[in-house]
Amino acid sequence: MDKLLLLAMNGLIWGLIIALIALGLAIIFGLLDIINLAHGDFFMVGTVLAWATLQTTGSFWLAFIVAPLIGFAMGALIQRIVIQPIHNVAALSIVATFGLSLILQEGVRITYGPTPGRILAPIQGTIPMFGVDYELYRLFAAAVAILALGGFFLFLNHTQLGTWMRAVRHDRDTAVAMGIPAGRVYVLTFGIGFALAAVGGVVAAPITTVDFRGGVDILPFCFMAVIIGGLGNLPGTAAAAVLLAFLEGVIQSVADPTVARISSLVLMSAVLLLRPQGLFKGLAR
Amino acid sequence: MSITSIERSLWLLLAAFMISVPWLIPALINGFWVSVIAEILIWSLFAASVNLLFGYVGLLSFGQALYFGFGMYGVAIGIQDLHLSFWPAFGLGIVASMAMALITGIFAVRLTWHYFAIITVVFSLIFYFLALSNKWLTGGDDGINFTLPPTFNIGGFSKSFTDSTFQYFFILATVAFCFWLMHRLIASPLGKALVAIRDNDVRASLIGLNVYLLRLIAFVLAGFLAGVAGALFAFFGRYASASYMFYHVSGEAVVWAIVGGAGTLLGPVVGTTLFIIVREVVSTHWEHHALIVGAVAILVVIFAPKGVVGLWNDWIARIAEGSSTEESGVTKLRTDP
Repeated sequence: MDKLLLLAMNGLIWGLIIALIALGLAIIFGLLDIINLAHGDFFMVGTVLAWATLQTTGSFWLAFIVAPLIGFAMGALIQRIVIQPIHNVAALSIVATFGLSLILQEGVRITYGPTPGRILAPIQGTIPMFGVDYELYRLFAAAVAILALGGFFLFLNHTQLGTWMRAVRHDRDTAVAMGIPAGRVYVLTFGIGFALAAVGGVVAAPITTVDFRGGVDILPFCFMAVIIGGLGNLPGTAAAAVLLAFLEGVIQSVADPTVARISSLVLMSAVLLLRPQGLFKGLAR
Repeated sequence: MSITSIERSLWLLLAAFMISVPWLIPALINGFWVSVIAEILIWSLFAASVNLLFGYVGLLSFGQALYFGFGMYGVAIGIQDLHLSFWPAFGLGIVASMAMALITGIFAVRLTWHYFAIITVVFSLIFYFLALSNKWLTGGDDGINFTLPPTFNIGGFSKSFTDSTFQYFFILATVAFCFWLMHRLIASPLGKALVAIRDNDVRASLIGLNVYLLRLIAFVLAGFLAGVAGALFAFFGRYASASYMFYHVSGEAVVWAIVGGAGTLLGPVVGTTLFIIVREVVSTHWEHHALIVGAVAILVVIFAPKGVVGLWNDWIARIAEGSSTEESGVTKLRTDP
């Protein structure tokens, strides 16, 4: 029972982090029609930025400012240099982002090195919860993820830029006719998408490893969340990420992680075939 | 010299080159490159299976590695566990991948575009994880190594892949045969129907084509191409491994096919050749060749969105246009005294 609670709790928190990353993927996917195969590597760059900030300044906390800023700048730059010239053609975007993924991974391998590293959690200690000693940092990570998720939805629904993003996604031509600078909104969206993944990377860095291949496993998981939540349904995506990771955590308490992963993949196939509009269509919008 | 005769002589040149590879390449560079070319042939066939679906039916599959993996494991399990000889094992690999393509295709081709791309990658991931966890059958990431039985053993005459020249020609013949089949398929009424679906599936169904069934047929045929490639690769490497079923392998084939030119017969060959040669040449000098591969992929889609072969075709079309106006100019001079 203790093990179940522990793994379910871990799954829940991991799901909140994945939700952040998957939201980044979902806005890029929904707005630009780009299948972003480099998104897992955006997360990985976040973990490396956390490590680099800790190494150079001695402070892990600074990474929460540095990583989103660098992530945003890199994302905006990538949109201008790589994504814009291919005019949001989805098939070409797959090739371009695949190339991008190779470059990011190899770039990190050159600079950071090929061996996975670990970051010591900046908050040490445990807290007794439901009869188990739970790591304090994980609770902190959950809080940060929830804050970032809330902040993103506030931004999307209550600021002018957020309204522009929703408008361009809804109907690009009308949005342009109303005077919304669609080109700049694209750049912004890609930047925010990268920044969200980078924040996810910073939060996750002390929980997982810092590794140039760290994004490879994250990518299918994020796609699952986007699909199960429903394409374009951002709250659905976040909910699906939490649900999936929680379920995997629960299944892991009785079977090995591969079985857990297979069952969520099977769930996803069922959703794709039976409810391609996503699980939560009509519930949240 | 007209365009068609130039193209025909280029084909003859290519054929002559491919046949002379086992003697020409060791003399020019070294013997290692013969096996690189054999590998290019196998991966070209794999990229062709992506191209058949994406370039001719408009379905972007991100899970072709599943059928490649089934081709590999069909051969490896057939030889190692079932003690089959060469040809039955080859057949088992192909049948296994086609059967898998049929089973998954029944579900997958109900979906299109983004959803199709994602369900194919999901199916391949499911079986990737199954292969990883069922080590007793698949050997997991370490894979299965096996000793290769002879290909022909008639009387005292025996030929096997230990003879590298024979290995090369066997791969060349098989791959060339598959490409010939694909060429025939594209020219056939079935191929035309597939292209009609690619261009407009609603219109295709309105003229009476069974879109679902045709897509399923194309999916199984693509599974066949990937399965043959996987079986050949198992013979070539004498092993099978779950790592070849991961989505990165499918992704590479998509990149090769699109960079070479989707919807053209030779596109996948050109793309695969380009990437494998870049990889082999750069990796001997520089450890971080993936940077170059990534940059090439990005540059090609920015500057040649129709792929290398698409660029070539445009160029040919422009020359043909130029020469035809020239000819009409000439005739005009003659008819006007």
